[in-house]
Amino acid sequence: MSPKPKVEVARKHLAKAQEEADGGDLRDAVQWAFAALEAAIDALAEPRGIEIDEKHWKRTEAATRLHEDGVLPEDLAGLHRELNQLRKAVFYEGDELTADDISIEDAIAQVETAVDIAESDRDKDREEGEEDAQ
Amino acid sequence: MTTVLTRSWREPAPTREGLAQLAPLDAELWSSRLIADLERARQHSSDELASVTATVEARSRELGADALVLTGSTARGRRTAVSDLDYHVIGAQPRADDLPAEIDLYCDEPAELIAKLERGNDFAHWTIRHGCVLFDSGALREAAGHAAANDLWPDPARKLRQARHALDFAEQILASGDYPAALEQARGALSLTTRWLLLAHDVFPLARDELSAQLVEIDQPALARALADSIHNRPDLTSLNASVATARALTG
Repeated sequence: MSPKPKVEVARKHLAKAQEEADGGDLRDAVQWAFAALEAAIDALAEPRGIEIDEKHWKRTEAATRLHEDGVLPEDLAGLHRELNQLRKAVFYEGDELTADDISIEDAIAQVETAVDIAESDRDKDREEGEEDAQ
Repeated sequence: MTTVLTRSWREPAPTREGLAQLAPLDAELWSSRLIADLERARQHSSDELASVTATVEARSRELGADALVLTGSTARGRRTAVSDLDYHVIGAQPRADDLPAEIDLYCDEPAELIAKLERGNDFAHWTIRHGCVLFDSGALREAAGHAAANDLWPDPARKLRQARHALDFAEQILASGDYPAALEQARGALSLTTRWLLLAHDVFPLARDELSAQLVEIDQPALARALADSIHNRPDLTSLNASVATARALTG
């Protein structure tokens, strides 16, 4: 069993978030959406030399920097912070969530933007790699 | 005029009757707690953490909070590389999103704190037992007195439900191959399982880095090793899976 590339896990986590949201499980949808966003931020930050150190607050800062650098069309720091708080309340405190706590569809759509961009990055790198090899 | 305190606060023993043994939690004893806790918070915080705490305190006071408590591993002087900085505010939530640390702010109004203690919320119990009280208008003392007088204790069944849910999620994250998330979720699930087990044995769970020793005391060495490994090392996914399976065997 070995770790998988970040872009790949981000897409899979996002699919799980959507699946849980469709099934009405807001608690699990939030957990997966957060995991997807973290993986997407990692995927975008690493090639740009943005330090993460597996710390949530550094990912929050990275989301802002990725926006300021023109990588992400919007600053996802607020979303990252919100999802982090909610998933901690769910995971550690056993809190229930309601639709008043978060619009999960909006959150998933925002996370998907980051995942799409991370995938574009990867595809571009692959193309450049292939060109270099020719 | 100098006030001479005849009774001094000491941290309660991590047992069911630990808090009640200190009763009555009168104004004199509570005053000595405030003095002792401020010193404890100072000793356990680096300059950087102390600066964050000072900001949280100033903002809490500005919003008219009744009390502020430094909780978790920092309060116990047992921070690890993966520790957050935890506070419990009795009052409105101050801003903390601009502070350079992994901060967890729990906020309750005084009545909600008492309700949480009655519902067996272990975090609320942690605050009144082991937190470093940074200031208190009296709401916290009232809540602690209520808990001591009524033999309130965190609900193990509630913790077991949380542990099972966390193990479900940890297993799925492990299967995804997302290592940083898997490590964090496995560690969290092991911690929750530990907290449930300890509470069920009438032992109050301390900071995360102290839980392994507490587990050994109730004869759970395998879970103790798994938890310590997840805190201090970077076990591979296979080892994490084995650790989660150990916890799963206990929770059913």
